[in-house]
This record gives sequence, structure tokens and C-alpha cells, in this order.
Amino acid sequence: MRKTFVRYGLAVLLLWWPKIFSFAQSTKPDSIKTEQLEEVVVTATRNERTMGALPMPVTLISKAQIKTMGSLRLNDVLTEQTGLVVVPQVNGLGNGIQMQGFNPDYTLILMDGEPIIGRYTGSLELSRLTVGNIKQIEIVKGPSSSLYGSDALAGVINIITERPTGKSGSFSSRYGTNNTLDLTSDLSLANQKVGVYVFANRYSTDGFDLSPENFGKTVSPFVNYTFGTKVTFKVNNSLDVSLAGRLFNEVQDYNYDVSSNGKSTRSVGDGRVKDWNFNPVLTYRLSSRAKATARLYTTRYTTNSIYTLLKTSGADSTSTIDSFTQTFTRPEVNFEYFFNEKHISTIGAGQTLESVSTPRYGDEKKNQQTFYGFVQHEWLPIKELTLIGGVRFDKNTIYGSQLSPKLSARFQPSDVISFKGSFGVGFKSPDFRQLYLNFFNQAGGGYSVLGSEVVKEKLSQFEALGQIRSYLFDPALIGKLNAETSTAINLGLHADFSRKLKMDFNLFRNDVNNLIEYQVVALTTSNQNIYSYRNIKRAVMQGLEANFVFAYNHRFSSSIGYQLLFAKDKNVDESIDKGEIFWRDPITLVTQRLKSSEYFGLYNRSRHLGNFKVMYHNKDKGIEGSVRVIYRGKFGLGGIDGNIQGETVPPSDRNGNGIQDSYDSFVKGYALVNVSLAKQLRQLRVQGGIDNLFNYTDPVNISNLQGRILYLSLNFKFVKSTNN
Amino acid sequence: MKMFRTLLFLSLISLLTLSGCKDDTPTKSSVVAATYKDLNADYAPLVLNPAGPPTRPAQKNKYTFFNFATGAIIANTDSATTKWDIGFRSTSIIFNSGTSGPGAAGVIVQKDIFDGVTVVPTAGYTTDNYNKVTKTGTFAISTSPFVDGVTTTTNNWWLNSGTSTSTIITPIAGRVFLIKTADGKYAKMEILSYYKGAPAVVNNLTDLDRYYTFRYVYQGDGTTKLN
Repeated sequence: MRKTFVRYGLAVLLLWWPKIFSFAQSTKPDSIKTEQLEEVVVTATRNERTMGALPMPVTLISKAQIKTMGSLRLNDVLTEQTGLVVVPQVNGLGNGIQMQGFNPDYTLILMDGEPIIGRYTGSLELSRLTVGNIKQIEIVKGPSSSLYGSDALAGVINIITERPTGKSGSFSSRYGTNNTLDLTSDLSLANQKVGVYVFANRYSTDGFDLSPENFGKTVSPFVNYTFGTKVTFKVNNSLDVSLAGRLFNEVQDYNYDVSSNGKSTRSVGDGRVKDWNFNPVLTYRLSSRAKATARLYTTRYTTNSIYTLLKTSGADSTSTIDSFTQTFTRPEVNFEYFFNEKHISTIGAGQTLESVSTPRYGDEKKNQQTFYGFVQHEWLPIKELTLIGGVRFDKNTIYGSQLSPKLSARFQPSDVISFKGSFGVGFKSPDFRQLYLNFFNQAGGGYSVLGSEVVKEKLSQFEALGQIRSYLFDPALIGKLNAETSTAINLGLHADFSRKLKMDFNLFRNDVNNLIEYQVVALTTSNQNIYSYRNIKRAVMQGLEANFVFAYNHRFSSSIGYQLLFAKDKNVDESIDKGEIFWRDPITLVTQRLKSSEYFGLYNRSRHLGNFKVMYHNKDKGIEGSVRVIYRGKFGLGGIDGNIQGETVPPSDRNGNGIQDSYDSFVKGYALVNVSLAKQLRQLRVQGGIDNLFNYTDPVNISNLQGRILYLSLNFKFVKSTNN
Repeated sequence: MKMFRTLLFLSLISLLTLSGCKDDTPTKSSVVAATYKDLNADYAPLVLNPAGPPTRPAQKNKYTFFNFATGAIIANTDSATTKWDIGFRSTSIIFNSGTSGPGAAGVIVQKDIFDGVTVVPTAGYTTDNYNKVTKTGTFAISTSPFVDGVTTTTNNWWLNSGTSTSTIITPIAGRVFLIKTADGKYAKMEILSYYKGAPAVVNNLTDLDRYYTFRYVYQGDGTTKLN
């Protein structure tokens, strides 16, 4: 069935407007259409396109796959994908995603094409997102700033949520280790004209503790609620209206020892996170060839934490209230025009209004605006070739303008083999910390960190008070930040041997410039450092991703995924070539010159990542099972700010050069084994599973890796009718 | 043939004599190669301060002075003399010249392997010219950490291999200080550790900081040869 679908030629596959390819529709029964729908992705081109026809590396994770894994939160799903690593945030806690070697803040996370905000400490907390209402997850690797603007530098992860279809509903519950309970329910009511989908989720856990000898847990108990809704209304044959909304609320206990320079203070309190978004979309079909879409996305994220530092020696306790509010509003229009089977154009424009307010950045609200426009053209000169070119222009009130082009091509000389290539430029605007941070460290030595937008003013205030001892840097160059940029090439090969064996290879190289780092800019008269941010570093991240899927028979299949990564600081590479980098044996204290081959690369990057999965699915008996092995190779640890539970994270660099080389210590590689088994009994699905079967943990180095989790879940689903 | 034998004999003799000369060369007595362990550079315990960063109330804010010729610590009361060559206090290092003292000391920071440096130049040594009153000028050696891709100067001696909130001061590998002493002699030195006992893995919760371990080679005959 799928084979026919592939053979039907690109023109048919490329478009998913019922009106345009009515000829294809009439020749196929409904079941085929369902099959096709599963393969359609929107993220790569902003329009619905079949996955196989796209010229850039795209991964699609279906609802069925998510169910087989028994996952609850987004990080559970992403951690099992080739080339993705769930890494802690800068404070050593939480879950962000590392893609093609980039830190979490370089991947744009979208929900139904709109950005999820709340990158409080730089990266987005993925566990905020439940997978209960996810229809599919689309991952595009390589820069996609040509369509999505800032942050789409490593790539884009787009979560597509459920739409109302027919009359159906479900209720699921999962209970497991750490008293973790997840309750999910959804309901869909739709006819030809109106559709309503509502969704609710409650997730609670006691958290987990990797080092019971310390006060407080590694992850404290928390409970959160997610509500989602989507309403669709077909006004007439040419106009569709859809309204979507989400509401999230979380409360977490805080019990920590705040530690610095060898002294720790007990701290108790709680943290609250709230976010909501609202997204009305109008889709208007001007003719059978033209479609216009208008959307107004609004979202707000707030976190409030109150914690009290308890004093041991009878001194007064001090309470600290930390809050952070971010808003984001984006009106956008775009227009898609279908000239013929060989030419399709998309053009769009919009404006982004963002604000942030937190005591950390001073009292007043900080605003920034971006105007943008983009254009994309898809051209199929011959049957075997697809070319897509696009460019986006962003004009921001702070970091200026940015031009992001992208060009990709796909060539399929035969049914078996296709080649893909894409070239793109991505960028990431300076984040709020880098712009507005106004931070005086109480506990860690009395240094200050000042964002680029406030540093000049603050330095002149210090100067007036006579507190500046010396500038370590030309003051004229302080306080101007540009966007970080990356130029990337992805070259891929896809081979499909009659559905038994599928192979995918992708070579990637990202040249990253203008990376922002904090830097000492001045010394105070009391010899304390004043830091600010500058565009300094350059990096290169390159490697190979390979995926193999082998179907033994219609029940058993297995897959292997692998990523090889070389992530290096270009400045370091150059210094090594000049013979200016050394290493000193920490025991003999003898120094030697470091060779280029001995430089391992950036911290927190593994050279090897892999996964091996065996899936079993017996449709007749309603049984499915899986064994998944996820491997992460050794990596170095550095640049983790803050201690976890009062423990010192031993730095990997032990030989006096500040970089990860083959003589340094490493966090050793590890493999996690997850298993699951499910049985469908009419409308009821019973699933049991164990994540991290062998209970692998590394409390000091990998704080977000909890031990073995056993779970049992029940899912009840009823379907009264399907209307499309 | 006889001629050849004589030649061989002569050359053997001369070889022996030459090597003997080498052994008896006066540099042997004028060169000092040593490692100084745990020089206390104003260590004082950290005390938590609720109103700000932790402080070290017991610190003396005085430099510990060192003389390369004798390999001994010089009393701080001798700061105005030429008895000392180099001074240490926390991460700051001063030399006896310029704004720091009456001597002729100076330093060149060379990115090299310690043993590979056999001869030092006679010129090009930098001196401290920090003015305490106007708070302007710089030290020959920076007190700030080296940050890769960030620091443009070459006079940093340490980097932070911990985190921004939990600093571990690590001497940069391959930074050889070529030194002119207060009385115009030459030496080279390499800092090996900033923590007491030079632990292979520093734990900044338990290891005491501000303790310098360094190796040096001093040439007492006034020449620039250091082997």
C-alpha cells in the first residue's frame, strides 16, 4: 500500500489540499488516506508534505511509537531518538535536548508550529510537556531559521497535537516507581462542520533522590496539570477557523542545600510554574491554487519561587522570592500558491512582540520586537528531482537584522535510493540573561554579571563611585551583542530495499560563529570581577548519523541508530596547531604539548551515541512489546554551573589546559535498557514496562538520570464514529 | 696505521678531557634546580557572610616573598629591599621592580615546556606598573583567569577548571615564567599547583588554596644559560 503511495510521483505527494488532488483521492479508498496522513509532516516546509519527499533530514515519531514506549513526558520520547541527548540545564537540573551537538537552547521547540516559551535558565524544560495529546512529533535537523527565525539553529522539534476527529474519547492512567501517577483523558466531538477536542492531564510524582545522604531530593516532589483544547469550524468550503489553547500549572517543593565555596545553607520553599497559550488560525482557500493563513499566537510563562535560607547559628532566616514572567505574541500571515505540479510558492510575514520581567533583570519590563518576512519556493524540474529554496529576513530592535537562507535538494534516481542535500544558515538571538542580567553573586565570591544591555550604564555608575580598578577590555567594545550564527550542510542518502531493510545516512557539518560567552570586563577596587557577555567563541560540529530499520516479518522488526560527533572549539583547534596548548600530568606534574588528535572536544558531548530497538507487534492477538537499548558514549564534564545537593561536581579537566583531552577524566559511557509489553483487550489496553532495567545511575555527573522505573498503565478508548 | 692509532688515542683523550671539563664546569655550582612546595600565599579560611560573598577575615593582605638564589622566604618587612625576587598573595604575583619594589626583576611568560627552555633572553622583561594611588596600570602577571577564546593577553597564569560559582584555580599547563631576579640574575619557573600538597584532583571543599607549588631553575653566575 505504501509502495503505491511512494510511486505516485512527487506532485501528488507534495500536496495535501483535498481540492487540488481530488483525482488521487478518488482513486484510493479511505484506508490509504489514513496511511498517508501518518506520513505527512508540516515542519520542514510549513506546509503538509509527505515525509519521503522532503530534501532535508526529518524524523517523525508517531503516536503509536510513543504508546509503545509507554512515555509520559516529552523528554522520555526524545531521549530514545538517534542523535538526541537529554541533558541537564545550566543549573545541573532539568531536561533539555542536545541535537547535532548543540546545547538545548539552539533547538526551537514548537507546538503546532508556534514556539513554546519559558527558557528561564536558557533551555526549555521538556518535562513540562505531556505526550498525552500528541499526534506526532516532527524533528527537522539542520538550521531552519529560513522559516522559523531565531533559535532554529540546530533544528526544530514540532509537536503536533490532536485535532477533533469523529466522536471518540479516552482515559489513561499510569502508575509507577516514585509514586508517579499520570492521569490523562481526552474527548473529541466532530461533525462535518464543527469539531471540539478537549484534553486534561494530571501528573504527580514524589521525585527521586540519587544521594540520600544529602538533605533534599535530587528532584523534589511536584504535581502539574495540563489542559488543552482545540475547536475547529468549517465556515464554508473555503474558510476554516481553528482555535487552540493550553493551560499548564505546576507546583514543586524546594528543599535544597545551597552550596558554594565549601559552605552550605539549608533552603526550603516551593516553586510554581504557569503557562498558557492561545492560538486562533484562519485558513482561507482563495482558489484551488491559493491558500492564505492568518494566525495570532499569544503565550505567557510565569515562574515564582519562594525559598527561605535557614541559618544554623540562630541568625535570622532570609527569604528570597524569585519570579520570572515572559510573554510572546505573534501575528502572522502566510500565503501558499500552487502554480502547477512543478512550482509551489510560500510567502509570509509577521511580527513578534516579546517581554520579560524578573527582579534579576531589574524591576521594569524589558521588551523587544521582531519584524520578519519569508519566502520559499518548491520546484520539481523533473520527476526525480525536488528543489526547495527559501529565505527569511528578521529585523529585531536589539540585535539588528538577520538574513537566513536555505537551499535543499532531493534526487531520487530509482525506487531504492535517494540523495538529499541541504545548506542553511541559522541564528539564535541573545537570550534574556545575556541582554539584561544584573546579577551580584552573594555566595560565590562577590562577582557581578551584567547583560549587554545594562553593562554600560552599570559600569558608569561604578566608575562614578570610584569602584572600578581597571578595565580588562576596551570599554568601547563592551555592550554590543550580535546573534549567534551557524552555517550548516547536511548530505543524506536513503535506501529502501522492498520494505525489509531501510537505511538512512546523514553527514552534517555546522560552522558556528559569534557564540556568546561571559567574559571578565573589569575589576572592582575590591578585586572582584565584573563579567559581561560577548560574541567570542567559534565552534564546529560535524558528524554522521545512521539509521537502519529491518523488518524480520510482519511482527518483528528491529532498528539501529548511531551518531558520530566531533564538536570542537575552533579557537582551541587553532591554538593546538600553533603549539600553544599543553597538558600537565596531575601526578608527575610533567608538562607536554597536546597533539591535535588528543583534543576530545567540547564538554558534555559524546563522540558516540546509539540505540538498538526490537519491536514486536501481533495485531491478531493485540500484543505488542519492545526492548530498547539507548547508549551514550563517554563525555567530559565542565561548565556546569552550580552544585547539585551540595555535592561538588569534579571537573573533567585535570591537567591544566581547560579543555577536554584524552588524558582528562570522563563521565563513562552507559547504556539504558527499557522494556515494555502491552495487551489490547477490546477497548482496554494494559501496558507494563520497566525503564532503566539495570538501574544505572551516576548521581554526581548525571543528575537527571533516575534509576529503575516500573510502571503499569491502563488505557480505555472508545470510538463512536470517524468522520475523516 | 700507527698514525691512525695515535689519532684515535688522541681523540679519545680529548673526548675524555672534554667530558671531564663539562663535569667540572662552574655552572654546576651556580645553577640551582629545585621545587618549592606549599608556599603559603596568605591562606585564611573562608567565613560565610550573610550580607555578601564569603570573606577571609583572618587574611593578612600581605605578599609572601621569595628569593631564587637562596630558595628561601623573605620577611614581609623587607618589602622595600632587593632581598626578594617574586611575591605571592592569593592569585596575584608581583616582581621586585617597577611599582612593586626597588629591584631589577621582570618576567616573560613563554608558552613552552619547562625543560625545553635552556637559554633566556637578556631583554624584553615586563615589570609591574600598577599605581596604587590612581588605580591605573597593570601587573606583569594578571590576577585574572585565562578564558579560552576570550582572554587576549598572554600574562594569565591560571584558569578556572571548576565552575563560575565554585572556582578551582588551576595553573595553565605550559606557561614558563622567564625571570630576571631583583639583582639582575636569570631564572625560569613553572607553577604546578595552587592547593596544599598539590593534590592530583582538587576538591575545593577540603583542599586548602593559596598554597603554591612551583619548580624553578636559577642561574647564579649572571649568564642566561639555564642548564
